[in-house]
Amino acid sequence: MATVTAAPPAPDAPSVEVVGRPDQHRKRMARLGWMFTAPALLFIGAVTLFPIGFSVLLSFEHVNVLGSGFQLNGLTSSNYSLVLGNSTWHYALAFTLGYTVVTVIAELILGTMIALVLERLTSGRGWMMAMLLIPWSLITVISAELWGYIYDPTFGVADSIFGVLGLGHPTILGTNASAVIALCIADIWKTTPFVAIIVLAGLVMLPQEIYEAADVDGSSDWSTFWRITFPLLRPTIALAVLFRVLQAFGLFDLPFVLTQGGPGHATTSLAVLGYQAMFQNLAFGPGAAVATTTAVLVVIGCMAFLKVFKAQVGEEGS
Amino acid sequence: MRNRRRSGWRRYVNGITIGTTLTCVFVLVPVYWMISSSFKGPAGITTASFIPKDASTFNYHTAFSNYNFGRYIFNSVVVAVISTALVLILSTMAGYALGRLPMRGKLPVMVVLLMISVFPAIAVIAPLFLLMKQIGWLNSYQALIFPYTAFNLPFAIWIMRNYMLGIPREMEETGRIDGAGPLRALWSIVLPQARPGLFTAGVFTFTACWTEFLMALSFNSEDNFRTIPVGIATFGSQFTTPYGTIFAASTAAAVPIAILVLIFRRSVVSGLTAGAVKG
Repeated sequence: MATVTAAPPAPDAPSVEVVGRPDQHRKRMARLGWMFTAPALLFIGAVTLFPIGFSVLLSFEHVNVLGSGFQLNGLTSSNYSLVLGNSTWHYALAFTLGYTVVTVIAELILGTMIALVLERLTSGRGWMMAMLLIPWSLITVISAELWGYIYDPTFGVADSIFGVLGLGHPTILGTNASAVIALCIADIWKTTPFVAIIVLAGLVMLPQEIYEAADVDGSSDWSTFWRITFPLLRPTIALAVLFRVLQAFGLFDLPFVLTQGGPGHATTSLAVLGYQAMFQNLAFGPGAAVATTTAVLVVIGCMAFLKVFKAQVGEEGS
Repeated sequence: MRNRRRSGWRRYVNGITIGTTLTCVFVLVPVYWMISSSFKGPAGITTASFIPKDASTFNYHTAFSNYNFGRYIFNSVVVAVISTALVLILSTMAGYALGRLPMRGKLPVMVVLLMISVFPAIAVIAPLFLLMKQIGWLNSYQALIFPYTAFNLPFAIWIMRNYMLGIPREMEETGRIDGAGPLRALWSIVLPQARPGLFTAGVFTFTACWTEFLMALSFNSEDNFRTIPVGIATFGSQFTTPYGTIFAASTAAAVPIAILVLIFRRSVVSGLTAGAVKG
């Protein structure tokens, strides 16, 4: 949603461009524009585009890391055959996809519920918004340590709660299934408020007249939501989902600190796997292959999404 | 029915107040748990007590004296402040050009920026690490300042461009008739109008730099150049996790940024919604 749009210059507006030679002035302004843009683009190109290209190259190379640098020892496709045939990579891919789907859906449902409640607050909505920003601003490493403390098998509060409820003392981060669930809960806690804020901001912008009409027609809250609110919110929600999916797909900080990818490989995401390959096994070729395949999946997903929402985004970029 | 009048006890106990209370509990209880645990002593930290019985600031002393936490804060501040300043300068210039100057090929530039802003950081870790190793940049401030600036620029440029688009063209042209050059017009006419954009881009960049973990962990592993997230993640040894110290450090790191975000909450919310829209 563009909050602002370019106002086309009125033809009769007193403009300097009309005075003198408009063509030359335009050209000069365009040149100035590229001069203004160049530093930012050079920066971005040097630190993102060039490394991305280099990463693709690395993924096809035998890479040797030396004491003070590195050596490339010839082209190979063995990195990819190593990665694509590896059962740990298969699991990491499935885990990352599953984790993304589950957490995004849970966050969307919870976040929408929170937003619907807060939208009806007559006072204190600003403060609630501010409160929702606290988990968003928290360093993920901190939230991972916090949940690690909560899940601790000997003195964690989750363990005490299980004890009080008579559910015994499960080692939460010790078994595959419970570790995955625990990780999802930590993520849902940190990111649901973010989704709630986006949905709430979308809700506030909806036209009130429609609701008054629905009220007059005696529509129930439930059908008002599904017939009016949800369809109107769909663009907001769709783009919040895109944002969250891309973020969840790069999952690293939380499992790296909370579970170190374990038990076994149960919480090893693609990013954790890539990191482990590169920095723990010093296998930069295969690590780059993991990173490149992840990036390709993200780009494909993003393109598919942009195709579906071409209307909105195309309008935006013009 | 929306906002119907309620009477009697239903004014206080209804779906909205219950939902709001549950939301507060959901968000605040873990935060309370972190802060209260930071004051627990060695005995209190090993029991799941809601109120610390042996409250002291012992953990804060430990974090700053036994560990290098003061240094980590300093490193984080240096990296985040310089990166944010660079992002604001570069994105203002680029946003002004892309929003207001008659250039060809703006659309491809904006689309490429959009694509870059969604790229997972893991994709550039290997090449950046090897390149930095080659030129001796590992364990330095520039090892983080450069990537942080580059990764935060696309979003900041989008934000600045959108604010620049919204400024009435006449204002700038009045200035130009008065003899102000384009740079002067940007500084004294356009920039004051785009101030909300600067706040949004600034808070977002600062928060992103403050919380970033993967690159900081990969490029600056040496103790003297660790930032806060890396420092906190490496507090524990293989056998024990000093939770008291960790939460003291965490609280010290989280409070300033929380205050910053609360002060600029309007900018943050407008940035979040723009971010969700832009990807």
